Amino acid sequence: MTVETPDTTVHTTQAPLEHADLKRILAHRHPILQLDRVVEFEPGRRIVAIKAVTGTEPCYGGLSDDAVHADHAYPASLLMESMGQASAALWLHSAILAGEQPRGTLVFGSAREFTIEGAAYPGDVLRHIVELDSTKGDNAFMHGETWAGDRRIVTADSMLVALRDDMTLT
Amino acid sequence: MSTAIDRSKMEELKEIVVEVLEIEDDELTDTSLFIDDHEADSLRAIEILARIEKKYKVDIPQSELPKMVNLQEVYNVVAQYADWQD
Repeated sequence: MTVETPDTTVHTTQAPLEHADLKRILAHRHPILQLDRVVEFEPGRRIVAIKAVTGTEPCYGGLSDDAVHADHAYPASLLMESMGQASAALWLHSAILAGEQPRGTLVFGSAREFTIEGAAYPGDVLRHIVELDSTKGDNAFMHGETWAGDRRIVTADSMLVALRDDMTLT
Repeated sequence: MSTAIDRSKMEELKEIVVEVLEIEDDELTDTSLFIDDHEADSLRAIEILARIEKKYKVDIPQSELPKMVNLQEVYNVVAQYADWQD
């Protein structure tokens, strides 16, 4: 892993992307759009995207009144989805800025060595730091980390994000 | 390709393929088919290609993917682009 720990200085090389911008880049919508804002963006190289976790998330709706703190850990599946969306935003927005027009259905191809090291709870702000390793046609490989405040809670050594025509989803 | 197979290179390629396909070493033979015998799909194929490119620092066009149906054919394609001839 070569991503550095999050720092407090802002060195954005592109203007931050707001939620409305993300909706133009990603096909995901409420409630599965799992990113709130992009705070740093280096085209073709790196993204820092944040997602605030709150108690009003749909995933907490079914918890009973006797649920304890640990029951409120943000689900690993959504952590992965959120980081995958940060990866897709990095790749697709970079392509758009380069004058390309990405087309097709976004597919989360794989995540290798995806390690959950800690948990996030309502009130935490997730910070995904993802770097682009390589692209091959309509496929992009990335690695990244997720932080909750000063705690690193996820590392992902390799993620594959792909675009496929609907008819070639095999 | 008519050059002799370099078994150590073949083993390196096999290691990549079994890891991506998440199968055991002894399940994969030189000629067992990734898609028909090991349930691979286009995403696994592109992962295999990307790992090979990274390991051997070669650029293999996506257009070669349809040829890479088994380990033997992967070897042949990579040998061509990585210039493995003796």
